Parts: sequence; structure tokens; C-alpha cells
Amino acid sequence: MSVRARGALVCAALALACPAALRAQWSYGAQAIPVIARADPAPIDSSVTQFVVAQPVVWVHGMLWDGRVRLHAMLDGEALTMKNGQIATSDFGEGWSDKRHPHTWAHELIASLVDVARLPGPLHWSLTAGKGFAPFGSDDPMNRPAVLFPANHHWSQILERAVAVVGVRAGPATLEVGWFNGDEPENPWQWPNWTRFADSRSARLTVAPLNGLELQGSLADVASPEHRGGAGLDHSMWNVSARYQHPAGPGALYAMAELARTDEEGVFVYHSALAEAQYTVGRHRPYLRLEQTDRPEEPRLLNDPFRSIRPHNENGNLGITRWRSAVAGYGWSVTRPGARLRAEAVAEAAYFHVTVVTGATLNPEAFYGRNDLWQLGVGLRIGAFDPLHRMGRYGVAAEEPMHHHM
Amino acid sequence: MRARAGVQALTAAVLLAACNGTEPTRLAPGGATLAVVSGDGDTAAAGGSVTLTVVVQDSSGIPVAGVDVGWMVTQGSGTVPASTRTIADGTASAGFSVGATTGVKQVTAKVSGAAGSPCVFTVTVVAGPAARLVRSGGDGQTAIGGQRLPNKLEVTVVDAYGNGVPGRSVSWSVTHGAATVAPDAPATDSAGISRATVQTTGPVGTIAIQASAGALSGSPAAFAATATIAVVLVKELPIPANYGLHDEYVRDGLAFLCAWNTGLLIYDVGNGMLGGSPSSPVLVGSIITNANGVAGGASVHNAWWYHAPNGDKRYVFIGQEGGGVVGTSSSGDIHVVDVSDLAHPTEVAFYHLAGAGTHNFWVDETSQILYAAYYNGGVVALDISGTLSGDLAAREISRVQPGGAGNTYTWGVTLYNGSVYATDMLSGFWQLSSAAGQLSVAGGGNNVPERFGSDQWLANGYAYSGTWGTRFTATGGIRGNALKIWQLNATGAPVLVDSVITDNINTVSDVEVSADGKLLMFGAENGPNAGIWFYSLAASRTRPALLGQYLVGSGVHTATFAEIGGRRYVFAAKDPPSPSLLVLDVTDLGP
Repeated sequence: MSVRARGALVCAALALACPAALRAQWSYGAQAIPVIARADPAPIDSSVTQFVVAQPVVWVHGMLWDGRVRLHAMLDGEALTMKNGQIATSDFGEGWSDKRHPHTWAHELIASLVDVARLPGPLHWSLTAGKGFAPFGSDDPMNRPAVLFPANHHWSQILERAVAVVGVRAGPATLEVGWFNGDEPENPWQWPNWTRFADSRSARLTVAPLNGLELQGSLADVASPEHRGGAGLDHSMWNVSARYQHPAGPGALYAMAELARTDEEGVFVYHSALAEAQYTVGRHRPYLRLEQTDRPEEPRLLNDPFRSIRPHNENGNLGITRWRSAVAGYGWSVTRPGARLRAEAVAEAAYFHVTVVTGATLNPEAFYGRNDLWQLGVGLRIGAFDPLHRMGRYGVAAEEPMHHHM
Repeated sequence: MRARAGVQALTAAVLLAACNGTEPTRLAPGGATLAVVSGDGDTAAAGGSVTLTVVVQDSSGIPVAGVDVGWMVTQGSGTVPASTRTIADGTASAGFSVGATTGVKQVTAKVSGAAGSPCVFTVTVVAGPAARLVRSGGDGQTAIGGQRLPNKLEVTVVDAYGNGVPGRSVSWSVTHGAATVAPDAPATDSAGISRATVQTTGPVGTIAIQASAGALSGSPAAFAATATIAVVLVKELPIPANYGLHDEYVRDGLAFLCAWNTGLLIYDVGNGMLGGSPSSPVLVGSIITNANGVAGGASVHNAWWYHAPNGDKRYVFIGQEGGGVVGTSSSGDIHVVDVSDLAHPTEVAFYHLAGAGTHNFWVDETSQILYAAYYNGGVVALDISGTLSGDLAAREISRVQPGGAGNTYTWGVTLYNGSVYATDMLSGFWQLSSAAGQLSVAGGGNNVPERFGSDQWLANGYAYSGTWGTRFTATGGIRGNALKIWQLNATGAPVLVDSVITDNINTVSDVEVSADGKLLMFGAENGPNAGIWFYSLAASRTRPALLGQYLVGSGVHTATFAEIGGRRYVFAAKDPPSPSLLVLDVTDLGP
């Protein structure tokens, strides 16, 4: 029997065994952003110019059994392309400061059951499990206009966790409740600490009262995110945001504003406010982001001023700094917008002003050389096949950008 | 044929005539050739020059004068005139200044329209005369006595421009200490380098080696090295990473391990009650003290097993380190645990200071006073006599902020010769008087402005204090890599006399001197040289002599001496991510 004949038999057997699988819808895509950026000043009164390939991701989404089973998988190659981090003044998290840490290679591995049993009336429900985002906060920065991540990434998203999420949607309102492990990854190859699964929880309510407008409010209790063993301080977090995305004139307008607060057992309290907007018309995409975010300061490593000691020793830190920033950028599509293979040239300029909120030992002027900082970057946002999905929203909370039928 | 020769002669004559003017001779296309005369393949010393010569001839081989020859350095450094002109014999020369660097260099001569153009000259530039002897590697190494230094010592003979001079004789010798030195070769290699291997032959001490190269400047070049003593790890006891082990207190063969949110762990390490030993600790009991509402949980940080004057050994005082901002705020209480039954410790009392958290203790057992460093709260004196129960707020005798409000963040306290000495992270090293626990500033203070203070120990009329983290000032960041040495004057006030700087660390986290006052050790964190460092105080209190080190990649936060079974041990806390208790046998470190 030929290989082709055997293949036909296998397909026939599969079709007989699970005919619904043949009605699966799949979407897939890839993205990468080669970017060169310069930060001046950088830690220890220096400047840094760096080229990295940021956000090299491939993903596949599937809807099986008439959409009752949904799969999300995203692999992230930053562990290979930016293992020393991406220069990102003001950014912090997972033991990095002024650089963005590489994401874990298994960025999303999620399965959802949706409306497996129908609820009465307009109610829809879903059950989601896997590795990905906890239901909390605004969209991931990868889904948003700027290449440079905001400082509040770790105050406004909770990601790379083992999660279980129950979602309920009724008309314009969606409620998600999630349980997950509190520990954040210590390196891009690390899996969540399964023994800590469900020691943390979050809830997000999303309401879309008008066409294009979305309001969101989230709460989270995260156990010891910064100490994998669980000995660190717990985080109580909230985040509210308003997001507007709608055609406007010849193009499309996107705008988002959010407030966030993280309380580490009353010892440290961090606030963040962010607003951003983008207008897309033809090949052109100007955007702007304004932000004020508090961040913790920790002793840096002797041999790497962008890294701090992990895991923490003791419960203290050096204090809190406040970062005010403005990021202005412009994207120009090299290819026709919406093409299967896309490229967009991006240029960004960012200004930061850092002050001390608390901490007698902190001296940003000495650490950076001055407290007004700049970062410039140019890059090429390359995409293939389907556009990047809205990350962190699963089951009934997910949009459904399915285009390919198999 | 004759007629043709005549034309050529006439042409040459015309060209020569033309050369007598300032205008260069123009060559007819294909009518002349360019060839090298001399200079190609020459060798010159750095800083010198060579003369490069070409000749221009017409098609009959007759020299052509007045032709401009262009010159250019096409490989390597050096300078050459942009052009020179041929003279009557058809030659043109250019002086090539070969520059300061060695290597193969090329100069190109070019005449437009001449066959054979361009001509390439290759000149080899070698080092000039030996001028200096430079120490180029291997200084300041340590090795366990009897072993080789990890890296070879290295000197370089250089010329006036810093180029290595090969073939120059260098002699090596040991001028102090127990060691032998063996050069790889009697003369410098092609790069001008001479290397030598040093084998230590004595148990411990400083070694001096020198390399000589005649009367050259910089000769002899001196090297220092140190032979140290091996430190033997007898036990590594894993501690749950919650976060791990912070401090340890060892007395009467019992080790009280402060294991953060795992609580206080009591091990028999030679007491005899359960047959434990330093190499085989046996768990006796444990307790997780109350969080008392402090962020971070039990956070068991440090302990002191109190032996009362009446012989009672009932209480262990435990420090809790809650959340805080270094230099600004802190939290955490003193917890009192009754260990009458070591297998079943019970918490019986606590002390809480609003707005501040405790750190290291010292107990005046004779006077029954506990002195506690309290970070931004300064130093607190507590009455610990009698039975302790419940809230000990009424037991507070006094407290003081040595540096004043906003300039106080006290790490540790030590009672010595009737004074309480305190190291403050912000305001330096202080002497406090304590009349029956009534604390007041007596001396010192504001004396370590460039670094943050950390732990301390006092012995032999001297104090030794550590430094922490990196302190950033307007002039930059200074690492906490210093051990400060203080002499106590007639009134007991500290006077800074010296410092020990350890490269490649960022914190001296814990300091202790052995009971006989002869062995100093400190824990070090954050850097390639993190671990425990041992120094002898036998010969000098102010110039400690390095005896050895035990390096731990993740760092050592605290370490304490203990004499058990006639041997001297160190019990040390290895930092996360794989925290553990390290037990080292340091008996051989002496004295």
C-alpha cells in the first residue's frame, strides 16, 4: 500500500472517529521585531546601544467541535534572541531593571471548553486551563502600539502562570475568575511551580457598553510572586482601564487609559497611570504613550547593572522610584496593510524623568548620571499570516479572529 | 633603426628640457615604465624610517626626469610624502616613517600612465631597542599552601613605543616567602613576554617574586602572592528555600538555625543529647514564631540562646525581619521562645517597637540586658531578667537613634569593655554608653560616608566593621567591599586605622573574631569572590594577614565560629537559590 493510500485511510478513519474535528478552524501566524535602540543614560552613568530581535513568536489557534474546544499555543523565542534582555528604560520585573526580561519559551499553552453544556438565556461560559495569562488587567504590551514596553507591565498584566479560568459572558459583560501559581518565572526556560498552583487568584470584569468602547476592572491576590519558594511578600493588585477602538475618519482610532495599584502587604505600595493612543490611516500609524509608574529598586548585581539578586534575600528593598515617561512613535507599513506577509518600519523616541518616592539610599542622579533619560529606537515589525491575537483573553473572553478553515 | 633611436634621443632631450621647469613631465601613454629600485623588503625599527626609491624610464630604458611619483601607505600605519619628482637619473625617493607599531606595512608608488605602476613596497617594522620592563599579569594571586598559583606571572619587555621586544633575557627569583619560580623560557617570546610558574611550598604566608631584565626601566618588576590554608567542608545541610538560612547561633553543641519562614531549627551538632556532630547534625526541635501581623510572615532572622546568671538556659531571643526600605523603614518584632524542652519550643513573649523592626542582638548576660539593633529605630535596651511573658513593652529600658532621625539605620550592636558599639548603615560606627541599659551616644559616628555600614565585631581593643551594597554619591558608586578596622582610644571611641578591600564582592555581610582573638572572618556576597574570608590577627591587629577563603558562588550571608570537640568550626549560611548550612573545619587555620 502506498504512503498516499495509507494517509487516505488514516484521514478516513479520523473522519469516521471524530467528524467534528474536520470542522476545526485554525489560525496561525508569526511575528518578530528586529530593533536597534539606544538608551542614554543607562545604569552606572553610561549609555547603551543594542540590537535585538524582540518578540519572535509563532502561534497557532484552533477551534474544534464547533468552537466548543479552543486551543491557544504561542512559542516565544526571546530566550534565544534576547537572552541578555532588551534595553527598556524604566521597565522592571523578574529580576531585571531598565531591561525587559526575555519571556518564557512556552508563552501560551491554553485549552478552553466553551458552552459544552448550554446555560439558559443569554449566558455563555467557558473553562480554561494551561499556561498563560491570569485574567487581570489590560492587554499585553505586545498587542499595543509601542515596541518599548511600559514600566507598568508587571502591575497591569499577570502572565506566564499555570492558570485555570472560569468565564461567564452575558450580553456585553464578561466575568473571568482565575486561579494560578503566584511565582513568576526566574528564567525563560522555567515552568511554573506546580506545587503552588491556585495559591493566587484574580478576577476581571469586562463591559462593552458602546460599540468600540470597553471598560475593564480587575482584582488579584498574588502570593509571593518574586520568591519561587513562597517566602516573599504577597501582592494585592487592582487595575481599571478604558479601551476604545473604532473607525474614525479615513482611518481607525485606538485609545486606552488605565490605573493600577499594587500593595505588597502594606509595606510597599506602587501606583501607575497610563494613557496611550494610536491613529492608523493607510500605511501610517503615529502613536503616543504617557505614563507615570512607581517601581521597586533592588540592589543590582555586581557584574550586571541591569539585574538584581534573585531570589530576594530578606523582605526589604532599596525603595521606590517614580518614572514619568512619554513615548512617541511612528509606524509606516512597508507592505500593503493586511497582507499575508507584512513589514512595518517603526521609529520611537522616549523620554523619562525619574524621582525618588521613598528610599534614603537611592540616588538616581548618581546612578544614571542624571534623572532625565532618553531612549531612541528603530525597528521593523515583521508579521506573517494572521494578525496577532488579543493575548490573555480565553474562552468566552476571547475574540475569534478565525480565518482559515481546514 | 638609427633614425628611430635618434627620435627617441630627441624625445628624451625634450623631456629633460621640460624637467628643468616647475611643471612635471607628462608621459606619453605607454611610453614609460615604473620600477622599484630599493626599499622593498627592508626592515625598520618602530619609530624609524626607510627610504623607498623608484625609477621612471622611457620605452628605451632612458631615465625620465621630472615625473611626479605618488606615494601612499596602503597597509599599516606610517607616513610618506604624497609625491616626489624624479631627478636626472629617473629616480624618485620617499622617506617612509614607519610609525610606532610593529608589523608588515606596505607603501604604494604610482605614476599615471607608466607601465608597472603601481609599485608596492613591503617593509617589516620590528620593535625598537628594549626600553622598559612591564608587569603584565598574575599579580596578587592566592593559592593553598603547597599548590601552584592559578595563573602564571607575566612580564613584557617593551620598546619606547610599548612594542614587545623578543629575545630579551629575563630572570625570575623569589625574594620573600616559601615558593619556587620557574620561567617558561630564559628569554622573552615573540611578543616580548616572559612567563613563570610559581609553586608555593609553605603552609601560609605572603610571597614576593621579582622579574629582572638588566637595567631597563621598571626592572625588577615585583609580584605579590599569598599561600593560604585549606578550609574543609565537613557538612552541607540543605535548608528549605523559604527563603533559606539567614543566621545561626551555636552554643554548647547546639546550633540554632534561623531559617526564615521555615522557622527556628535546633540541631544537635555536638551537644550529645542526640548524638549529633558538626558533620552529622541531628534535628532536636523547631518552631515557627508568630508573624505578629508583620508583612512577610515569621521571617526568623537571628537568634541568641540566653544563659542567665543563675544558670537558667530557658530563653532564645529571635529577631524577625519584616518588610522595609533599606535606610528608611523596617518592621519585625523580637520573639521570646522558651526552650526548656528543646524538642518542643514554645513562644512566650514578644517586644514590638512601632515604626521600626529589629535586626541583630547582643545580650549582656551578666546584667540581663538585651541590646537590639532596630534599623531606623536605632538601638533598644530591654530588661530580660526573670520570667518573660506576653508583651515586653514595659521591659524597655531605653533606646537611642545614634545618627538622629533620618540618619539612623542600625545593623548590629556589640557590648565590649562596658560600651555598646553599633554599626549604622547610614551614619557609620558608633560608641554608645550604657549605664544599666540607659543608652546615649559616647563617640564615633558619621565616619563612613562613602559606604553603607553592616556587621561588626570587637576584640583586642579593635573593632572590625563591614560594609554593604553600593552607595551612590554625586561622584559615583562605592561598593561595600571594605572591612573597616577601628582602634579604640582611651575612652573607647573608635578611630579608623585601616581597611581591607576585597575585590569582586559587593557586601561584607557578617564579621566575627574567634574567641582567642586571633582569627578574623567575614562573609561576602554578590560577586565572584563571595564566600568566607579568613585573616590572621596573630601578628597584627591592624594589618590582618590573609589565611584562606572559602568561595561560595551565591554568597554567604552570615557565619559564626564554634569550638566543638577540640576543633574549630564555622557554621555559615549559604545564600539562595540553593540555601544550606555550611559547616567548615577551620582548625588548621590556627593559631
